[in-house]
Amino acid sequence: MNPYAPKAGDFTPVARQPGLITNPRPSQSYWQDAWLRLKQNKRALLSLYLIVALVLMTLVGPWLWQQDPAYQDLDLISQPPAYGETALVVADPGIWAGVSVDPPTLITVDSNATSSLAATAQIQTVGSASTQYVRLRWEPVAGAGFYLVYRNDHAPESSEDLGLPLGQTLTAAEVSFEDRLQLRAQDYWYTVLASNGLQEAPGFTTVRIPVQRSITESQAQDRKLHANAGDTVTLRSHPFGTDSLGRDLLARIIEGSQVSLFIGIVAPFLWVLLGTVYGGISGYFGGTIDAAMMRVTDFLIALPFLLFMILFRIGFGIGPGESGIVPMLLALVLLRWEDTARLVRGQVLQIREEAFVQAARLLGAQPLYLIFRHMIPNTIGPLLVNLTFSIPMAIFTEAFLSFIGMGVAPPTPSWGSMSNEGLKSMLSSPHELLFPAIFISLTVLTFNLLGDGLRDALDSRMRSRE
Amino acid sequence: MLYLLWILPLLADHKSRSYLPWLLRLFAALCLLATGVQVWAQTQDQAVDFATQSIQLAMSDEPRSLNSIKAVDAFGIYIVEHIMDGLLRRDANHQLVPAVAERWEMHGTTARFWLRHNALWSDGRPVTAHDFVFAWRTVVDPATASEYASMMYVVKNGEAINSGKMPLAELGVKALDDYTLEVELEKPTGYFLQLMTFIVFFPAREDFYTAQHGRYFADVENMLFNGPFTLTKWVHGAALRLEKNPSYWNRDAVHLNLINIPYITNDSAARFSLFKDGKIAVEDGLVGIVTEQLHGALENRFRIHSHSDGSQFYVEFNLRPQRPTSNLNLRKAMQAVFDSQELVYKVLGIPGYIPGHSLFPVYLQGVKAKFRQEYPVPLPSLDLAQARRYLQKAKQELGVDNIPPLSILADNREINILQTQYLQSLFKRTLDIDLRVDVQSFKQRLDKMHTGSFDLVIAGWGPDYDDPMTFADLFASWNGNNHGLYNSPLYDSYIKTAQDTDDQQIRMDAMSKAQQLLIDEAVILPTYERVISTVQHPQLQGLVFQQTGAQMVLTYARVVE
Repeated sequence: MNPYAPKAGDFTPVARQPGLITNPRPSQSYWQDAWLRLKQNKRALLSLYLIVALVLMTLVGPWLWQQDPAYQDLDLISQPPAYGETALVVADPGIWAGVSVDPPTLITVDSNATSSLAATAQIQTVGSASTQYVRLRWEPVAGAGFYLVYRNDHAPESSEDLGLPLGQTLTAAEVSFEDRLQLRAQDYWYTVLASNGLQEAPGFTTVRIPVQRSITESQAQDRKLHANAGDTVTLRSHPFGTDSLGRDLLARIIEGSQVSLFIGIVAPFLWVLLGTVYGGISGYFGGTIDAAMMRVTDFLIALPFLLFMILFRIGFGIGPGESGIVPMLLALVLLRWEDTARLVRGQVLQIREEAFVQAARLLGAQPLYLIFRHMIPNTIGPLLVNLTFSIPMAIFTEAFLSFIGMGVAPPTPSWGSMSNEGLKSMLSSPHELLFPAIFISLTVLTFNLLGDGLRDALDSRMRSRE
Repeated sequence: MLYLLWILPLLADHKSRSYLPWLLRLFAALCLLATGVQVWAQTQDQAVDFATQSIQLAMSDEPRSLNSIKAVDAFGIYIVEHIMDGLLRRDANHQLVPAVAERWEMHGTTARFWLRHNALWSDGRPVTAHDFVFAWRTVVDPATASEYASMMYVVKNGEAINSGKMPLAELGVKALDDYTLEVELEKPTGYFLQLMTFIVFFPAREDFYTAQHGRYFADVENMLFNGPFTLTKWVHGAALRLEKNPSYWNRDAVHLNLINIPYITNDSAARFSLFKDGKIAVEDGLVGIVTEQLHGALENRFRIHSHSDGSQFYVEFNLRPQRPTSNLNLRKAMQAVFDSQELVYKVLGIPGYIPGHSLFPVYLQGVKAKFRQEYPVPLPSLDLAQARRYLQKAKQELGVDNIPPLSILADNREINILQTQYLQSLFKRTLDIDLRVDVQSFKQRLDKMHTGSFDLVIAGWGPDYDDPMTFADLFASWNGNNHGLYNSPLYDSYIKTAQDTDDQQIRMDAMSKAQQLLIDEAVILPTYERVISTVQHPQLQGLVFQQTGAQMVLTYARVVE
């Protein structure tokens, strides 16, 4: 057999045929792949948009909604969401001396006598009734020692159903009363009862008085509205309503988001970074170093967070009434990184035994190269997930600490402290609790959903199971 | 009940059908029994009963003690004022009226009381002047260690005896005969007669007191009454029962036969539920901090009553020299922008609260009429321009370009937190002064007030007796409750003038000067006078609420049809 000797003509290149070699799937980097899969996850994507919107609100919100979050509009206290309210400008009320008559003779109080007091007659308003004041006067009742004034927001059904006790006159000579108690633009039913100290008049007269929304001239000036008494002005809109001191809730939520999102994003970034470095070193070197470093984490994990938060406050010399944001940040970073460190250590311990790491080591790779080329990229998935789950935890911690008064100092709002204030008037004006609570819930939920989506998208092992 | 209904068909299915009628009958019988028990319980357990003139009440806590000699907490004072009678008593209009004393005379430092002959102890023996002498001596006896012994210092040698420097017999009180009591005072005391309604001045009979061997008034069998009611049951921590005293000298004026107190709980929500269910006749726990708490009452269409509890609240400045607030012009600047009406009507919004204008609340008696009517306070004129001039002067005097942040101390009640936030915004907006809010627990707030670690503090004061002096001497330089260390020889001289005479005109004139001085020197910013809101059964009438002593008086109450 002659051995085969190749000749020049045996092999000729085939003419290039277009379309012969096709790449069934375009080559994609890890990140491109993750993004592609994240985009398919509707919930995660929506959450991402919402987070971007929240961050935008924090950054550009103050420019878009230019109301001072600390300004107290005492005429619009605990007002539900409203838009374009108008008010009548009235003259400054000044001090009303009231109406006095010569005191009717005080009957001697005899506890056996049945009441002979008549119902108060002719309750009239003095001047026009506005949300600045309602001034009442009435005819004196013989035998009265003083008068009691009640205000209700519906027609009384019985003498038990008179509403709020506004007050009483000091003597029988006073036959007038000025009501300025948080008046709203609505109808009120006023009742005046004569009393001799032991007994009240058995009958009662109620007068219905419609009250008009108004501000005084000096308040109009204060608001830089050029208006005189008698004009009607449009008040500032409060789309989220106002709180118990008349501050705009939307402006406060925007300002509060700065605190909440700052703590919520900066603190987890810092502690995840710290945890990654610590866990990476511990896992890579292993052995005694690992054992020693992990005991330190075990120790730190046992420390109570709240106690250290208080200690840091004292350590920083932060007195009462000053913002506790810095110690809060520090306490969060120093006491919350252990989870990340354990996670990273576990990952690194596992990865360093993988065949591709062994191969790289055989080829002479240095530790630094190994860590940055192989270890970190392979832990980035769990790390990102850990980060996104840490963010809601941090936001919630801030809300909780501000709720118990350890966080921001008034008047600076945060969502947590706003919820705390709103809780007190939950029944009468629910919007004060509702809006900050919605924002806390929304932020925590979106970060959680995004973290969920990222976990699915970044974990390369999940790919084969799709 | 549900359980029974569910098991019924099961039994019927599995066993013979003849069980069903039997079980149904049993079920019906049980229902009837339950209803019967309920009806019986309801008749026993209702807020008011017209026929028997009985009422049922709840207390938030039980009295620590009912011994009038040792004196006690508010709950003890409440019960003791109903079961004992002093020399004088307050009527429904808060005026002093005769009680054990039929008539009295006062000249300078001597007071003489003539006792009525028909005032009896509940064992039938008469109340005599010796019983008062014994009681008062026991109060100042250092061995008794009465908490309110200092109230007795107005009586001659009271303080010396209480500190052990003099024998008991030196106390300036003696029985001229069985029915005449003479009291020597340390110095003229204009409010001495007001004190006679306070329980430490009530009588105690020596033979009965010593026979109890230290258990005087510890239990029902250790008690001897001379008041409108007697205590017939005291289950410690659980229940009290008061019945009309048949031997009381003025028994015809007392209408209620029985006051039953079967509920003692400090849970105001629970007490409100009891009231709603018709189990108790009065609920006075609606301390109207927020209108929120009144909502329940309004929704149930209950009539809400309110009465002043006598407390005056104010912002107190720290006048220690190292504090910026020791500067008069700084305080005047803050005074000129502070409007208590805006605070009360717009910010706090609690019905009935009276905006504060003075240290003295409106209900205090003056010479003939109310103190505040005789000596009206000029209402503050808010003047921002003037305030800024004051501020400018203050900055020059303090040598600063900007006033350093001031700390405002408050305890953690909601109403105080609201005030601090309002003041913070007010002073920032008008004067560009920063306030740092220091919120502490009530006890901690008092501690910090004592040590003087505050610039401004939200404080208040409740009266011990019915006279402006109970407020006026607060800012005397020697008073331990003068936390801001206000020290004005002029103010002290006014107080001394008022304390050393019993001429009401001179006393009230001096106190009105003190009132004006506090305003001129801006020592405090009065904020409000507090009221307490209550709900009561419509059939219960004649309840009296007072600012001093027992908060609620049932002696004049009655159940109407």
